[in-house]
Amino acid sequence: MSYKRQFYPGESDPAKARRRIMDPKVKLRKLRDVPMEDVVKLMGHRNPGEDYKSIHPPIEEGSEPDCPIRKLVTPIDGAKAGDRIRYIQFTDSVYFAPVSPYQRAWMYLSRHRGIDTGTLSGRQIIEVRERDLEKLAKEYIDNETFDSALTGIRGATVHGHACRLDENGLMFDAWQRYVWDDEKKEVVYVKDQVALPLDTKISVGKPADMADVKKRSTIFRVDGVDMRDDKEVTMYQHRIHLLRTLGGYQPFKFKGE
Amino acid sequence: MMKPPAEYAGVPLPEVRITTNRLLGAETTEKILNGLNEIEHIRQIHVSGESLPKTINSGPNKGLDNNHTERRMITVCGNELELRHMVGSFYIELNVEDEEMLEEAAGKIKDVCDAFIEHGFTLDIGRYSKYRPSLRDYRGV
Repeated sequence: MSYKRQFYPGESDPAKARRRIMDPKVKLRKLRDVPMEDVVKLMGHRNPGEDYKSIHPPIEEGSEPDCPIRKLVTPIDGAKAGDRIRYIQFTDSVYFAPVSPYQRAWMYLSRHRGIDTGTLSGRQIIEVRERDLEKLAKEYIDNETFDSALTGIRGATVHGHACRLDENGLMFDAWQRYVWDDEKKEVVYVKDQVALPLDTKISVGKPADMADVKKRSTIFRVDGVDMRDDKEVTMYQHRIHLLRTLGGYQPFKFKGE
Repeated sequence: MMKPPAEYAGVPLPEVRITTNRLLGAETTEKILNGLNEIEHIRQIHVSGESLPKTINSGPNKGLDNNHTERRMITVCGNELELRHMVGSFYIELNVEDEEMLEEAAGKIKDVCDAFIEHGFTLDIGRYSKYRPSLRDYRGV
C-alpha cells in the first residue's frame, strides 16, 4: 500500500493555509524582493562582501573521521565549507500574522535540511550554516509568510507579538527596529535584528490589507475563524489530547487506538 | 512614621477606564491628556501601556541609546513631562457626588476620546485601581 503524506486536517481557511505552507511541493508566493546585501545587513552577522568565517576546515580536505552516517548524508553548502552557525528570528503578531511560530517550525522542518529551529510563544529562531542561512532568510523575507507590519525580524527583545498594534497598524517593538514611512506608505527597517542602527534604511514594502491577511493566515482566532467551527480539526485536537492524557496517566485504558 | 508619596482619595471614587484598540503614539496621548484637562471633576489620571526603554536593555548592543520616536517630552497643561510608554489605557478618577455628575463627566471624556482616538476604544465605568495605601507604597520610604 502506498502512503501519501498528510499534513493537517480540516477544511477551514487556516487549516488549508497550514497544509499549504507545510507541503514542500507548494511554491510559496514571492511578494517582495529585498536585495541580498540588505538581508545580510538586517541580520548583522557579517558585513556584506566580507568572507564567511569558518569553524572547521572544508569537508573536502578529508579530515573527517571514518563514519558510515557521514558518508550517507550529503552536507549542505555551508557545512561543506565549514561555516559558522548563525540565526535569524521572526516574531509573528497574534493579529493575523500570515504564519505563527509553531507552524513556522512545521514549515521549516518540512521544507529544509540542515537546520535547527526553536519555537517560543511569539517568535521562531532558525539556526543554519551562515551561507545557507542567508539564502533561507531572503526566501522567508521575500515570500508570503512575511508581512511587513505583522512580522518582525528580531534577534532579542521580541516582546510585542501579543500587544495591540500601533496607530499605523505595526506590531509593537520597544526597540523600534522598523518605522512607518508615511510618504511611501511602507515599512522601513532602521535597525538590524539586535537594534544596531543601520547606515541606510531598508524597505520591506507595504503591509498587506487586513482582510487579505486574515484570509491567508494560519491563525485560528475567535474573531476570525474559530478552531471549534472546524469539526475535523477539533476532532483531532480531542483525540491527541485524549491519547496524550491516557498515555501519561492511564495507558491501560487505551481501547482500539 | 513617614507617609508614602502617592496621594489616595481614601474612598472608592468612580473611575472611567479607557482601553484603546491600538497603542497610541506620543502626539495622540498629548492631545487626549490636554483634552481631558478641560473637563471638570477629574481628580487624577493614570495612564499605562507598553514600556519604551531609554537604552537597549539586552543583547549585544546593550547600553546603546534606543532613540524611540514615541519616547519623548510632551506638554500637558503647560507642564513638560517625559512620556515613557506607548499608551494603551487611561484610568480617570472622578471626584463626583452623584450619578448625574458622573454621567456628565463620562460623556465629556467620551467626546474627547472620539475626537482623538482614530481606531476605536472601550469605555468602562467602575473602580479599577486601589484608593488607599497598601504595604507596597511603603517600600523605600
